[in-house]
Amino acid sequence: MMHGARTGMRTGLRRLIAGAMARDLCAFVVPGSDVARARGLDLARAGLHLAATPRHANVLLVVGTLPPDLRDAATVAYAQMPRPRAILALGADTLAPLPAADATGPLTQVGLVAALADLRRVVANGAFAAKVTDFDAPALQTRIEYTCPMHPEVISDEPGNCPICGMTLMPKEASASSPAAHQPKQSAPAHQPPAVAHAAHGHSTHTAAETPAQYTCPMHLEVISDEPGNCPKCGMFLVPVDAKPVGHSGHDHHDHHDHHDHSKHVATETPTQYTCPMHPEVISDEPGSCPKCGMFLVPVEAKPEDHSGHDHDGHAGHEGHAGHSGGPAIDGIEPHFMSMVNLTRDMPASADGLKMEWIEVPFGPFFPGLPGGLGLTLTLDGDAIAETRVQSLVGGSIAADGLTPAEFVERFADQSPLCRVANRQLACLALENAASVAPDARTATARAAAVERERIASHLGWLASFAAQTGLVWMERRAAAKQLSIQAAPVDQIAANAASLRAFLHRVRKTPLLRAKLAGNGRIGEGKPVVGPVARAQGVQSDARAGDWVYDALGFQVVTGTGGDALARLHQRCDEINQSLELIARAKELSVPEPQNIGTVTGQGQATVETPRGAAHLVVELLGGKLVTATYRPPSAAHIDLLADLIQAQEIADALVAVGSLDLSPWGLPA
Amino acid sequence: MSIAILLLTLTLGAYFIAVIEGWAVHGRFSLTRPALSAVALFGRESLLARTPDRLFFEAAPVLLLVAGLLAVAVIPLAPGLIIADLATGALFLNAALAYVLVALIMAGWGPNGGYAMIGGWRFLGQFIAYAMLIVMPITAVAMRAESLSTTMIVTSQADLWNVFYQPLGFVLFVLAAMGLAWLPPLDLPNAPGDLAGGVEAEYTGVRLAVLRLARMVIILALAGAIVTFYLGGWLGPWLPGWAWSVIKMLVVTTVMLTTGRLVPRVREADLLAAGWKLGIPLALANIFLVGVIALVVDI
Repeated sequence: MMHGARTGMRTGLRRLIAGAMARDLCAFVVPGSDVARARGLDLARAGLHLAATPRHANVLLVVGTLPPDLRDAATVAYAQMPRPRAILALGADTLAPLPAADATGPLTQVGLVAALADLRRVVANGAFAAKVTDFDAPALQTRIEYTCPMHPEVISDEPGNCPICGMTLMPKEASASSPAAHQPKQSAPAHQPPAVAHAAHGHSTHTAAETPAQYTCPMHLEVISDEPGNCPKCGMFLVPVDAKPVGHSGHDHHDHHDHHDHSKHVATETPTQYTCPMHPEVISDEPGSCPKCGMFLVPVEAKPEDHSGHDHDGHAGHEGHAGHSGGPAIDGIEPHFMSMVNLTRDMPASADGLKMEWIEVPFGPFFPGLPGGLGLTLTLDGDAIAETRVQSLVGGSIAADGLTPAEFVERFADQSPLCRVANRQLACLALENAASVAPDARTATARAAAVERERIASHLGWLASFAAQTGLVWMERRAAAKQLSIQAAPVDQIAANAASLRAFLHRVRKTPLLRAKLAGNGRIGEGKPVVGPVARAQGVQSDARAGDWVYDALGFQVVTGTGGDALARLHQRCDEINQSLELIARAKELSVPEPQNIGTVTGQGQATVETPRGAAHLVVELLGGKLVTATYRPPSAAHIDLLADLIQAQEIADALVAVGSLDLSPWGLPA
Repeated sequence: MSIAILLLTLTLGAYFIAVIEGWAVHGRFSLTRPALSAVALFGRESLLARTPDRLFFEAAPVLLLVAGLLAVAVIPLAPGLIIADLATGALFLNAALAYVLVALIMAGWGPNGGYAMIGGWRFLGQFIAYAMLIVMPITAVAMRAESLSTTMIVTSQADLWNVFYQPLGFVLFVLAAMGLAWLPPLDLPNAPGDLAGGVEAEYTGVRLAVLRLARMVIILALAGAIVTFYLGGWLGPWLPGWAWSVIKMLVVTTVMLTTGRLVPRVREADLLAAGWKLGIPLALANIFLVGVIALVVDI
């Protein structure tokens, strides 16, 4: 535990604590518990608790070899774990930039249990060390950038003053690496319209030539200067105030008219009015104090038609506390001068009309409620989605060049851990089509049964993730247990478990309040390119199995639902599990697709298989019995582009339910 | 002496909650795991977030614990077995638990992270939904007892427990209590599935231990309040009074910790709609009914 131990002499008390830690292992799984289950790992049975955030974990469990982007993200997650922390790697070839694993094993349940026993010993002995090495990796580098508290769009690598308002820029930490981390870093909204001068400094360019003018700071009205310059307190440019003629003491109307009549910028500018940051209804033509709360009035551009606008909405929220998003507060800035009126003026307003701070929060690639490897970056407007960026950290093209068919099938299956059997089937069919050979009817049926078994397991795995996301712990546990028991089971065992599985699905549908949570959520409009269970849940007869002679022989008919929302998708998957149980019962035999010997074939072959998530398409090109290219179109590719529209302006929990209901697999998506 | 007994009960009660919660979450009943977890937490680093609001971040778990302990202080286990027998005990309980909101918003704000902050503000919304449903049922209970003293409220139930006298108030109060203690399905501020821990997400080590302990104390205080207000407190045959209080509190905590997990997490909008459109009219009806019964029937 070179980078994982905590500094400290190994005293008796620390030994005791380390012993407790070794027995209380809490794992953060990368790429995710969905992948762990699909690989046949039963973490609960092995005695591992799962953590929802790396902050609460002491074990980073790496399942399989991770693509480079995902390893970078895993490094960030590891760095976020409090020490003592350990890495448990199962079936992973390479971990860098992560430090070396503290325990390793093959990617099986037996391997997990054995590696866990090793890990407990390592933790008990090595949780505390007299000398520890700090962990550092390029993925963790951050740099300091400087930004203006009033103009977050102003970002500079060096300290200095804001080019818009002249305020001293404040330091802010920013990530130097690109992969989305798990850890939400609050960042300034980069989505503001380009620099619109604040009303408070709108007059800064209009220096008065003839009449005596005074200058003041928009933030510190007590600062009065006869000359233009910078505020001694915050460094902002001073703005001119319309100085009252010396000796003129009246505050009556005549003065104002008089004043405005002779104002030097009548024609081009709106007159300056003053308002209270807390009471926008207080409008005065002169600076002074608010009659309600005594605060200094701040200048605004008079907009007679806009006195009742949204600017003073109380929901403007936390933006007022500039110190929060930007780091240390500046000496001398009194917080109440960060008036909400000014701060929210140029902010984009969402559909509900409220102006709030927009924060960018990464959900994924290891978010517990989403598929592992899916990087969802949501810009949140309050708790509603303002912008969505989707990225697969486990995508990319399929490496095929020079592989033999058998190698390709293994490689291709491993690249989609969530549907390995369906992808084996896909690869085998494509290769066979290239060679114009076909398996006999019995093998074809047995293969189809294996694909159906995986469909059951995959849908149950989805149900487990979905239940975890919606807080149904019992359902998560039961679904996960059933997935693990069925995904490698032979036909007779599946038949034996069918009744209890059906009873479970019945109970799932009858879960109280499920309708209130799911109905109407995640609806995709008609005419969108949807596939698989998502399409069938909205009544579209889209199924690659229809018309396939193997399935025809098994009496397959497309099952569809109505509604097209998250609830309909849940029901659809339950229906499909029942249907697959019947298909397996009729097939009577089951065998995982194995590549046939196709000889030294040269040619092109393609195939389409209805995977648990929809139709997947593969084109392979062979030259002399070796692969040249493989072009893969995964089913989730159709859905990933629909995400942004689907969750726009939704509340965050609803949005995640909607995303979850699509059962996306980021594996093999175009990078 | 009585303080020592109360502290012991509190400690055992909090531990019991940890055991039950572990059973509900992980599906395994283990008497040792919470102790191991607690010891392990004390050995872990207490990390600070990147640019935290240090004061809020540090103060929130402590404030939460203090709020819970203050609330526990007015729960009677038996006649005389109470830390502070205030004449305004029921009101004091309510006042102490109001700080739960403050503490959670501080915990959400402090670490300067997205998940935590959304969790904190979510709890503000949740507060708006549950707050009236804590106060209004207590009003009806106090009407019958003609006192805000928690011991008087228990003795007023000698003939008939309030759970039978005002069942509507009981149901509303239990639901509101689950909202206050952010128990599933009302665990919006820490929502493991959609906020990855929410307000708890950035706490580690000792601070996390304090935060979790504080939550257990709050659950215990609320279970004590439910027992005191509706289930006749220490009243019961054969066994000594404190035993009845403890048994009833354990049953109530078990029900609160387990039943909510059978339904999906309630949507924030649905919670607010239910709280205001349904909960408050029902709570008003409860007050009215109790008032009429109190005038007409002499129990």
